[in-house]
Amino acid sequence: MKDPYKVLGVSRDASDEEISRAYRKLAKKYHPDLNNGDEYSTKKMGEINAAYDEVKNGTAGSSYGYGGSSYYGSSSSSEFNNFSAVKQYIAMGRYAEAINILSGVSNRSAEWYYYSAIAHAGIGNRITALGHAQKAVEMDPYNQEYQRILNTLQGGGRSYQQQRSTFGDIGNIGTYCVRFALLNLFCLWCC
Amino acid sequence: MAFLILVLSSIYNNEKTEGEERCVAHPIKAHKYWQNKITEYAADMNIVLAYYNFLDDWEDDSKIISYGEAKFFENDYNKVEKKYPKKCSYIKNQLDELSNIERRGVMNPDIPGKIFGNILGEVFSYNKDEYEEDLRAFGNSLGEFIYIMDAVLDFKKDLKKERYNPLVGTPTKNFKDILNILMHETVENYKKLPIEQDKDIIENVLYLGVWTQFEIAKMKNKEKNNEGSL
Repeated sequence: MKDPYKVLGVSRDASDEEISRAYRKLAKKYHPDLNNGDEYSTKKMGEINAAYDEVKNGTAGSSYGYGGSSYYGSSSSSEFNNFSAVKQYIAMGRYAEAINILSGVSNRSAEWYYYSAIAHAGIGNRITALGHAQKAVEMDPYNQEYQRILNTLQGGGRSYQQQRSTFGDIGNIGTYCVRFALLNLFCLWCC
Repeated sequence: MAFLILVLSSIYNNEKTEGEERCVAHPIKAHKYWQNKITEYAADMNIVLAYYNFLDDWEDDSKIISYGEAKFFENDYNKVEKKYPKKCSYIKNQLDELSNIERRGVMNPDIPGKIFGNILGEVFSYNKDEYEEDLRAFGNSLGEFIYIMDAVLDFKKDLKKERYNPLVGTPTKNFKDILNILMHETVENYKKLPIEQDKDIIENVLYLGVWTQFEIAKMKNKEKNNEGSL
């Protein structure tokens, strides 16, 4: 694994804000969306994300973006496969503890992403859960358990989308004249 | 805030709902009573959010004009704060936390999304009564959706301007799934509310209205012949 500080081009004693700024600069340069989705930039952005994640908290999308283990603390290179404690915490519904254990692991297998998805879903982190379930499936596409959890997580969204289609397309909105905006003061009757 | 008025009115104008000063012989009066109270409440909450919004703009960019506007709001805000001291301090606290998260560049979008959800949940939980918790849950999930939708819509602009965006580390192909999942959650919470009046309009907002900006952005994207993030 590459030294995440080198990937980001910051020194080890860089402040939080310096690190964030370096990350945003790199994201501007390499994000696949600004590079017509080319393969090199996708790969590069993946590296940058992983490095930023590791430097920031040593955890992938942990719900505790505060502190966490450092680069040195999580440098175990052997594969982590002791998931029994994680499984136990998940079974007890103690998702935060499960996430805590998982976040100390730097070498992330498909299984790691699978359990992380379950734990994050349990704690209500839906976006992280979806991302990690997807990652598990990408890494091990033939595992039905991984596929199942991904389907479950996507299921609600799909049923919403189906219900949505019964409302017709967006063109109908004009008849009701409601446009949604958070700070749109009393504008329901003014359009 | 129009949507807030719509939802709260639907619940509190419900014939089964007992208003404190409800007069059985004059249902219209009861209706008016709630309508006025709810409209006033929504206006107050609007002042709170607008006030902090201006302060925030001012702190971020040192815009003189925003400072002036904030001063202009200050009187109104002080009145509202006296009326709802707990609400105001909670909202302020969550907004501080949000700007803290943005400053630190937290990568996990669930974290700021939930904080923004807390704010809208507080705004929706209008009264300490049997509807409070369901309204809060509804506001929480809707707030999370709004925050993430905002991040989706500003995504490219934020990238180019090197500004904080909670979705930078999230694959763009997931955006639509994420939004659908969050809206599913919102609609599930909505179903727990006793909504009758204006049901059609409210559901129209929840199934279509919330996507208006997204669809517009998608169309613009297509015009540019660039599939991009949407």
